[in-house]
Amino acid sequence: MRRNGLIYASRVAAIALGMAVVGVLYAFPLYWLVATSLKSKAELYASTISLVPRHPTLQPYVSVLIDRGFWVLLKNSVLVCASTVVVTLAVGLLITYPITRLPVPVGLRVGVLNWALSLRFLPPIAVVIPYFAIVRTLQIYDQPIALIAIYSLFNLPFAIWMLKGFLAEIPMEIEEVALVDGANRWTAFVRVLFPLAAPGLLAAGIIVFTFAWSEFLFALILTATPNAQTFPVGVQGLVTQFEIIWNEMAAAGVIAMLVPLLLMVIGRRYMVAGLTFGVIREK
Amino acid sequence: MRAGRPRRSRQERLAYLILLPALGTVFVIVTIPFILAVVQSITAEDGSLVGLRNYARALGNPLLYDALRATGLYALIVLPSEVLLGLAFALFVHRTVRRPALRATLYVLAILPLVVPPVAVGVVARLIYAPGYGVLNVILMSLGITHQEIQWLGRPVLAMLSVASVDIWQWTPFVYLVLFAGLQTVPHESVEAAQVDGANWWTQFRHIELYYLRPLFLLIFFFRVADVLRVFDHIFILTGGGPGTTTQLLSLYMYRTEFKFFDMGQAAALAVVVLISISVVYSLITRALPLERA
Repeated sequence: MRRNGLIYASRVAAIALGMAVVGVLYAFPLYWLVATSLKSKAELYASTISLVPRHPTLQPYVSVLIDRGFWVLLKNSVLVCASTVVVTLAVGLLITYPITRLPVPVGLRVGVLNWALSLRFLPPIAVVIPYFAIVRTLQIYDQPIALIAIYSLFNLPFAIWMLKGFLAEIPMEIEEVALVDGANRWTAFVRVLFPLAAPGLLAAGIIVFTFAWSEFLFALILTATPNAQTFPVGVQGLVTQFEIIWNEMAAAGVIAMLVPLLLMVIGRRYMVAGLTFGVIREK
Repeated sequence: MRAGRPRRSRQERLAYLILLPALGTVFVIVTIPFILAVVQSITAEDGSLVGLRNYARALGNPLLYDALRATGLYALIVLPSEVLLGLAFALFVHRTVRRPALRATLYVLAILPLVVPPVAVGVVARLIYAPGYGVLNVILMSLGITHQEIQWLGRPVLAMLSVASVDIWQWTPFVYLVLFAGLQTVPHESVEAAQVDGANWWTQFRHIELYYLRPLFLLIFFFRVADVLRVFDHIFILTGGGPGTTTQLLSLYMYRTEFKFFDMGQAAALAVVVLISISVVYSLITRALPLERA
């Protein structure tokens, strides 16, 4: 009996130790990013690196956003991501409305969904090489529109699969009642279906916004100046300088991850469903 | 039946009326870059035809095979780590955590790394591994584990492990979330029956839960392989592909071919080869993925 107690106690201790290690590995990187972003310039050049900022300051944030003018990049990011959401959802609805609400052959529906899914696997770098030539020919290099177009394309698979899930859950009868009452398809869509689908559209929009916000490769290649550069490109610029200003780099990193984190407060229920194309249902 | 027919076909016509322009536009937008890549790959800059010479150069370049080897090695490190760790966490939480509030908290914590932009994760990794200012060396030295700086990003093996650790940090939670959700679909009755029969946790996993998780493993595997092929951001920031070309994965190699060496012909040929091979592979497997298409 005592032996069993001992085994039990040591097992609990081992589990607790394991959880502590996992907890540190998980949380420390994020902590360290925030801690570094709060350090003053003087502290950066101190001979010893302290794990806790000695005199926390928001100065690095001010100098990144104001002195370096990164607020312009932030504005570009918001513009590009919001436009991407609108375009992606509009095209997504145009494709998912007919295949979920109108009588189309099953083969067509499955074909469209499979095709959308295969777009998920396109490697961005292989697409951007020829796309770069198109962008230069159309003279939209370093213009937000070049990013909006390619972001919409790459987010379309997620949007199609998410919207398909949301639309399929709304009973057909609801729309049919409106149609019998004399409404045409368009009014039935705007008055009846759209309000019911709105929460789903919001969720899909949040996830598309988050993905577009994180995107880096296209933005790196297709932009050159603050005219269209997005925030991640700015962050990268701080990293590859010869003399790295660590606290400003960290502050930029914190700003970059703040927006998706805030959005996840609303969209968290749908995140896994979105990433797995609906295999894992929201809870 | 007869009365319903014209209405039905009118609805079907409406479906095509909406669907065709939308699908057609997307199809054209997807296809044009591919056609252009083919054109670029068989012409020189002055427009003269060069045939398959660019393909021969692209496929004969030893750097391509370095990149493929690095990509394979990276996948061999991150995929098993993420799957095993994710599975271990999922089983552990599934068996020991009962409180819904705690489960919900763990769910949110697991979502968090997934939405952090890879660029920001690269910045964090830089703060940890960088020579001079990296905090990992500071911690190791103050604990007395090492007395001189370890060049995490300067030695081939360590650089690969550093880069892979970033991937593992960011994507293990995804595996956890998927497998944990999968475990919730295992019917209670079969688990209870097995426990009555005296099954321990391993036989319970091996004979019951694994059966329900199998399609999810397939899903995780295909999605993560596709992601490894597109890995770019955090490596670009952390090592830039170095030291030498040890962490230059396929995406980085293609990026450098086009945008650092300005070898458009070779880059286009590579793009065509990659697009065709991935399209073929994934058009075959999308059918096999356990997704709900109805």
